Amino acid sequence: MATEQPPEPAVSHHVRKQLLAARKFRLLGRDRDWWIKLFFEGNAAISVVVLLLIVFTLFREAAGFMPGNRHNLEIYRRAGLEYVDILKRQTTEYAALGRQLSAVRLAWLQRLRAEGLDLPAANARLAAIDALDGRLADAIATHEEIRSEMTDHASSVKERVTVGMDMAEVRKNLLGGIAGSDAAHGAKLQAGADAVVVEEIDFTAEVNVLTTRFPDIQAANRVLAGELNEILAALPHSGDGVIDKQLTRLGDRLAAFRKGIPEWEGELARWRADRPVSFLEAFNAFAFGREWVTASFWQDWYGVLPLFFGSVFISVLALAIAIPLGICAALYVNQVAPRWEQGLIKPYIEFISAIPSVVLGFFGIAMLGETLRQFSQVAWLSWVPGFPMQERLNGFTAAALLALMAIPTIFTLAEDALQNVPKALREASLALGATRLQTILHIILPAALSGITAAILLGFGRVIGETMVVLLCAGNRIAIPDLSAGLGVAFQPVHTMTGIVAQEMGEVVRGSLHYRALFMVGCLLFLLSLGINYGAQKIVRRYRLPQS
Amino acid sequence: MTLNVPEKQVTAFIGPSGCGKTTLLRCFNRMNDLVDVARIGSGQIRIDGINIYDPQVDVIELRKRVGMVFQKSNPFPKSIYENIAFGLRLHGIRQKAKLDEAVERSLRGSAIWDEVKDRLHKSALELSGGQQQRLCIARAIAVEPDVILMDEPCSALDPLATTKVEELIHELKEKYTIVIVTHNMQQAARVSDHTAFFYLGKLVEFAETQKIFMNPSNPQTEAYVSGRFG
Repeated sequence: MATEQPPEPAVSHHVRKQLLAARKFRLLGRDRDWWIKLFFEGNAAISVVVLLLIVFTLFREAAGFMPGNRHNLEIYRRAGLEYVDILKRQTTEYAALGRQLSAVRLAWLQRLRAEGLDLPAANARLAAIDALDGRLADAIATHEEIRSEMTDHASSVKERVTVGMDMAEVRKNLLGGIAGSDAAHGAKLQAGADAVVVEEIDFTAEVNVLTTRFPDIQAANRVLAGELNEILAALPHSGDGVIDKQLTRLGDRLAAFRKGIPEWEGELARWRADRPVSFLEAFNAFAFGREWVTASFWQDWYGVLPLFFGSVFISVLALAIAIPLGICAALYVNQVAPRWEQGLIKPYIEFISAIPSVVLGFFGIAMLGETLRQFSQVAWLSWVPGFPMQERLNGFTAAALLALMAIPTIFTLAEDALQNVPKALREASLALGATRLQTILHIILPAALSGITAAILLGFGRVIGETMVVLLCAGNRIAIPDLSAGLGVAFQPVHTMTGIVAQEMGEVVRGSLHYRALFMVGCLLFLLSLGINYGAQKIVRRYRLPQS
Repeated sequence: MTLNVPEKQVTAFIGPSGCGKTTLLRCFNRMNDLVDVARIGSGQIRIDGINIYDPQVDVIELRKRVGMVFQKSNPFPKSIYENIAFGLRLHGIRQKAKLDEAVERSLRGSAIWDEVKDRLHKSALELSGGQQQRLCIARAIAVEPDVILMDEPCSALDPLATTKVEELIHELKEKYTIVIVTHNMQQAARVSDHTAFFYLGKLVEFAETQKIFMNPSNPQTEAYVSGRFG
């Protein structure tokens, strides 16, 4: 069957030209879309690569810390510093007894003065306790003497170790230079290297100098125990219930110390200079060490615990202030405020985050810290724990400012979460006869809870990573605050992980143990932030409301 | 306009979009208070002879007596049980036994009991659209209001679910006064006893449903119900 061919459609030359024009651009065999795609892809790739590089550097620099710290602790042990520190701990503990005695004396004196005695008469009544004070101090004198001699010896050994290590380094550098230089210069370098004396230290002999003092210490301990017995027997009675209770407590502590003397002795006897330092020990010294001491003539400690505690402590304190403020403000703006007020409050709170943190820190030092301290000295506020404040700059000052910085984050995200609660739920609740407050508490808040939790977590992340404010306002004392102060602990100065890095990174020797310790702190911060952000994301995904 | 909504019957509001049916409906339980732009200028709405816009009227009490079912089902993101119990708790019912009983009664009353009785403590959001809407009706009747306002309750439902809700409305009118806004004239004809036709913000005609659809007195009404406009 013959079919008629349809006629060829007439395409004008003009249309053909236009249709083909778009494909004209080619560069290196690729068309325009490919290049545009490459451009955007490249931007994303740069961000990813930079982040990877940062993470890699952070971990690489920190990686050397563990073996370094292990070596550090090894020298501490082999040079006998650890041995001396056992004795030092004993004398430190003893010194606390003396301070307690002084405290009891002061309390007693105040008591007597309150009873109406004048100063000479009161002091006369305290003659017995004053005599004990003198005896108590004298009883430890032999220990102190031995300790001082041992300290001199051990630190000189350590000094020699350090010099020896430096010299070995110099020698190595000189020898390393020979390979790349001509014969004449090489010979000169060789001569220089030979001239460098690297002292080989006989650790066993040096430690023996320390351990041979053990009989002396034993003898001193026996004298001390006898003295303590006599002091205990001579402990006076005041006839005043409160003071007597304090005296009894002091007596208990004296007795406990006397009973503990054999334990100190045993520890000294058991100590071995050649016991190897395990990797776990080096790790624990970092993770659970309570001291951060650098550039010390005696021994450097890199214990992150006080810094970690400080960071978490300030952050929790800041959140305790920022959560109620941020969330209540978000609830008010989202649920209660008329539109014109919303338009006023929202940008205003968000504006807080525009304040540079150094300005806030400055404000904290100049205004907040000073005002708070004066405020804390008001007599009728003395019932507040921690008042009157000892320090102008403390954890609370920093936390108050950090709270201010966390509020915009928490407010904005919580407000978004509330905004995402369908309006229909609110109407349904109100139509059932619920009041506005019932609707907010029972319907809106539970529905927005996941978003609000995420807001809090991100606020936490914001706060724990903040540096400038804590550096300026937290007081920077590297110690775990005295938790026995109860709530007053908030007014004690602390130091933070961010603060220590910012403070010490500038003056540290590149590649040194201290340098690597700071990188370890950085890693810890990084992991903490990562965990918090990951948790926030998880919560948001897990409990997202179905979008209707 | 004057409109008498008869007790224990179904009154339907019909009319083209934007004629003010929903707005009027929302005035009956003062949900319009929430919208800043809508205010009652003049006139009164009386329920049992009491003007509900009287400053002395407690709007919370009013809403407890005038329940509402919305266009889109809006169960709370809680369990089925808690959805019903929420309103009951607002009424001060606290004892577990009483709550259990009231929850069952209202779920039975809205013909959804058999479908959900085994999963009362599962999330209400897992229900289908039609079930959610019946749950919302159950939530509204749990607190035993006098009046139930329904704002296009079937517009988001498929025909099968619509049938179920319509059957439910038939059963409910024995106990409650129902006002329903609908776009669907067949629905108005099926479920209502009286029908009000609105056009451009005015009440054009209000009469028995039979009359509105068979023999309307106003030519505009006739044009609308016969599908010539709207």
